Amino acid sequence: MVYRMSDNIQKKSVLSVLLGFPSAVWTSVFRNDLPHTDLGRSRTSFTNFFLHIHPVKVHKHTLRPWFTMGLGLISLFLFLTLTVTGVLLMFYYVPSTTQAYDRMLDLRGSVAFGVFLRNMHRWSAHGMVAVVFLHMCRVFFTGSYKKPREFNWVIGVLLFLLTLFLSFTGYLLPWDQLAFWAITVGTAIAGYAPVFGNEIRFLLLGDTTVGQEALLRFYVLHVAVLPLITTLLIAVHFWRIRKDGGMSRPAEADIVVSTEPTSKTVSAGAPVMAFAGADGINVIEKKRYGIQGLVRGPFTKVGNVPDNSVFSYPNLLLAELFVFILTILGVLLVSFFFNAPLEDPVNILHPPNPAKAPWYFLGLQEMVSYSAFWGGVGIPGLEVLILLALPYFDRGQKGIGVWFSRERLLANTLFMTFVFVNILLIIIGTFFRGQNWEFVSPF
Amino acid sequence: MKTRLSLAIASLAILVVHGFVFYQQFFHKWETYQTSYFDQARTLAKTDGEREALASRRPKIEQIIATQFGSDRVDRCTTCHIASDDPRFKDSPHPYKSHPFSEELGDRLVDGKWERRHKFADMGCTVCHGGQGRGLDTFYAHGEDEFWPEPMLGFVTQENWRGDLRPKLKGKEYMQANCAQCHTDKNFKATPAVSRGRELFTQKNCYGCHKIDGISNGTLGPDLSEVGKKWKVDYLYESIVDPRANIKTSFMPKFNLTEDETRDLVIFLKSRRGFNYAETTLDRYRATLNKGGAVPPAQPPAGQTTATTAPAVKSGEQLINDRACAACHKIGDKDGGIAPDLSFEGLMKDEKWLIGHFKDPRALIPDSIMPTFAFPDVEYSAMTTYLMGLNKPPSLGSPQETYQNLCMRCHGEKGDGHGMIATYLDPYPRDFTNAGFMNSKTDERLAASIKNGVGGTSMPAWGKVLSDDQIKGVLAYINQNFTKEARREIKPRDVPEQNPVAMTTESIARGEAAYLNRCTGCHGRKADGKGPNSLDILPRPRNLLNSQFINSATDRRLFESILYGVQGSAMPPWIDYGLTKEDVGDLVNYIRSLNQNKKELAALELVAMCH
Repeated sequence: MVYRMSDNIQKKSVLSVLLGFPSAVWTSVFRNDLPHTDLGRSRTSFTNFFLHIHPVKVHKHTLRPWFTMGLGLISLFLFLTLTVTGVLLMFYYVPSTTQAYDRMLDLRGSVAFGVFLRNMHRWSAHGMVAVVFLHMCRVFFTGSYKKPREFNWVIGVLLFLLTLFLSFTGYLLPWDQLAFWAITVGTAIAGYAPVFGNEIRFLLLGDTTVGQEALLRFYVLHVAVLPLITTLLIAVHFWRIRKDGGMSRPAEADIVVSTEPTSKTVSAGAPVMAFAGADGINVIEKKRYGIQGLVRGPFTKVGNVPDNSVFSYPNLLLAELFVFILTILGVLLVSFFFNAPLEDPVNILHPPNPAKAPWYFLGLQEMVSYSAFWGGVGIPGLEVLILLALPYFDRGQKGIGVWFSRERLLANTLFMTFVFVNILLIIIGTFFRGQNWEFVSPF
Repeated sequence: MKTRLSLAIASLAILVVHGFVFYQQFFHKWETYQTSYFDQARTLAKTDGEREALASRRPKIEQIIATQFGSDRVDRCTTCHIASDDPRFKDSPHPYKSHPFSEELGDRLVDGKWERRHKFADMGCTVCHGGQGRGLDTFYAHGEDEFWPEPMLGFVTQENWRGDLRPKLKGKEYMQANCAQCHTDKNFKATPAVSRGRELFTQKNCYGCHKIDGISNGTLGPDLSEVGKKWKVDYLYESIVDPRANIKTSFMPKFNLTEDETRDLVIFLKSRRGFNYAETTLDRYRATLNKGGAVPPAQPPAGQTTATTAPAVKSGEQLINDRACAACHKIGDKDGGIAPDLSFEGLMKDEKWLIGHFKDPRALIPDSIMPTFAFPDVEYSAMTTYLMGLNKPPSLGSPQETYQNLCMRCHGEKGDGHGMIATYLDPYPRDFTNAGFMNSKTDERLAASIKNGVGGTSMPAWGKVLSDDQIKGVLAYINQNFTKEARREIKPRDVPEQNPVAMTTESIARGEAAYLNRCTGCHGRKADGKGPNSLDILPRPRNLLNSQFINSATDRRLFESILYGVQGSAMPPWIDYGLTKEDVGDLVNYIRSLNQNKKELAALELVAMCH
């Protein structure tokens, strides 16, 4: 067969090519016009790189604001804020003991938006530690870590640890008294680890005390190593949400699949699907399975089967945008009204009394004040191990997707105790400890 | 629709916040100062060229980078104080006011024009004034931020400083501390406050307790060599006028200093930063070679002549006043509340003891905190003569009066050993409420302790102050009011008068082995009474290296204490734990050997080596 170009492609004038250039670029980038139909929206979600992390359709239950409270999203947006402000701050920062503090002063005085960037970075970092922890609590109290989401919980715990470590490594960089002594305390806690404690500490500091080597190491960890690992794990975390069938939700929110013919069914042999509607049980005679539905079971619905889902575009996207704007608004407001602390330049001869670790480690420090090994390494290590192993032992399939489910009373009570004890220790360490770590009243 | 509305509201809020942020970040005070300066200068300008140049100037950050004073200093002060070197603005208000010229600073008037000695372009501003050179906001630049270690000396007091001290910490004089960073000459005429402070440091005996490299060698108080780098003036001032304000356990006395004296001392201390800009490394090396060099003898007070008796007494009194002995001790009406009462010293001590104690207090009271002062010998003898003149016994009526006047200062109002100065004494004064101890000792033994004192401790011999009857009265008073228990019958114990085991190297070695085995938990491996358990025990374990005490104790007493324990203390009866008299004999020999004078010990070692 002879192939002739002119058969398929009409020749165009140079002018029309030029005129069509912008729209050609536009369609090559975005593939679709702004969609107006559900099909178009699905196609857009499907073909856009930034949107394809979303499912085309999302379950209505997922969109309930008080179910997730957007905590995971807030964590992500804080992470993005931190990345952007962090990169901007990197342009002004030098990880050197002789220059770092001066750079902080310059940020405050002579860099446009310098102090504001620093505030945003600082408060977002604190916020992220808190929000990631709250996110973990949400996932626990809604029983969302259960099969098939066990491993995503594990990744989540790792992300929480990474968040803590990111915040901790960033704490040293201003090189003021607060930074220096907080890291001195924090790394001293690491030194209590059995067998390799001092080696870990040395590896972290590159020296026996906090100094230039430690500053450089913390800087590299903070701006390169940890963010990369975190980004990777966040990607896996999100990918798995979809592969594990979206957000958890109670079984009642789903369409019930029945292989048994019900009284109303007529056609024999074919599987029959029913879903819980407001007016009792409807029976659908026909069912077309999507490929994922076949592989994984009936979680992801494809096709024209009536179900409880709505299109992600625009429902989910608007919800996400709203959370994003609220997060940014919060960060901006806090950064406008509160300046990130900058204490005296480092003075190795003159430790503050008490020297306190960052607030999220004050629970540890409080425990360390009772027993160095158990408080600093033993108990926190056990806590992390228990958190990691949790979904493999708590295997009941009841109470998934419901806040404080009755069926999970014991698990929820235990976890609530864990949360309260940790928060209590942090509060004691923050407000009730004065000179020489003696008990003082803040009132 | 609801989502979209809330989205719109939230976005609007973000926009508004952005407005505030941009306003805050883009409008600086220093820009208005600079534009105003350009305008003012334009009206003062003489030539058109000058006017044009000023018209084209736009506000920008001005800075001076001074490289000669330690690490590089970036001083942006001239961003606001843009007219600081423009003499036309000498009468303008701040921040336009130009820096005054003064002969004191070395500025010179040449042909009707002043020339600066300290050129701003080389020196910047903060090296003299302090403050935060990089700051562009008054609050930070002037060092008003409580975290900035160097607020502008003498001009800025930080919010968190003590209110009553803040007015006293203002004044140009404080800047002399910075002058002295380069002008290290002791008598540099532009830093009179530093020189006076340095003199006061010697005169007021600060050096007895504190160390400053190259000046003094005291070990009792903190090393002050870098105190100016470590602390701000408010802390220094507070530490002098109220030593216990920050360190609750401090036993630094309050000295009677005038406000000016305190200020000069503070300025002197603020100038102690560990190194000076003017010093070369060679100078610093020399200083380390000369570390804690001889303390310059204090100026002999005016009018002191050679030691004839009458004027010596007077000058001794004057010396003791000048040296602020009463900042710790009690002498007559003056009471520092830290060290023993010297009012009857002439009755209780002899000249030899006093001189010896002046020269080396710990040779006589091994755990004393009395600093060793380096006064010239004439002054020691003058002071000794004065103290020996304090020999009038007090007229005391009732035993209660006696107790309150003589005993209470150490043993406490309640007789529990927590007297006013008890914490500064080692060993602690006896607790009379400890009936277990008090009733295990005979009246004779207790009376002897009062009469003859207790060797190696701060308990003096009251024998010449009190009559035997008075001593008995005091004892009865103590028993009745504090011990509050009828005297017990004291069981006769089988204790040898003399150590039956001969003092031989073998015996000492056996004693040492037993000591290491049984005694170190409380008395410590060094036998200094500071074993690991010692802090949990009251009364504290004896310091067995206290030769004055050990040598004054009879063999019988040591045997009794070891074999039968010390009632009311943690010392157990070792006879119950299987020690025989021979074992105790070895132990006593070992303890005695620790306290033999060095010559004897060396001889003994020599004998051992020969064997």
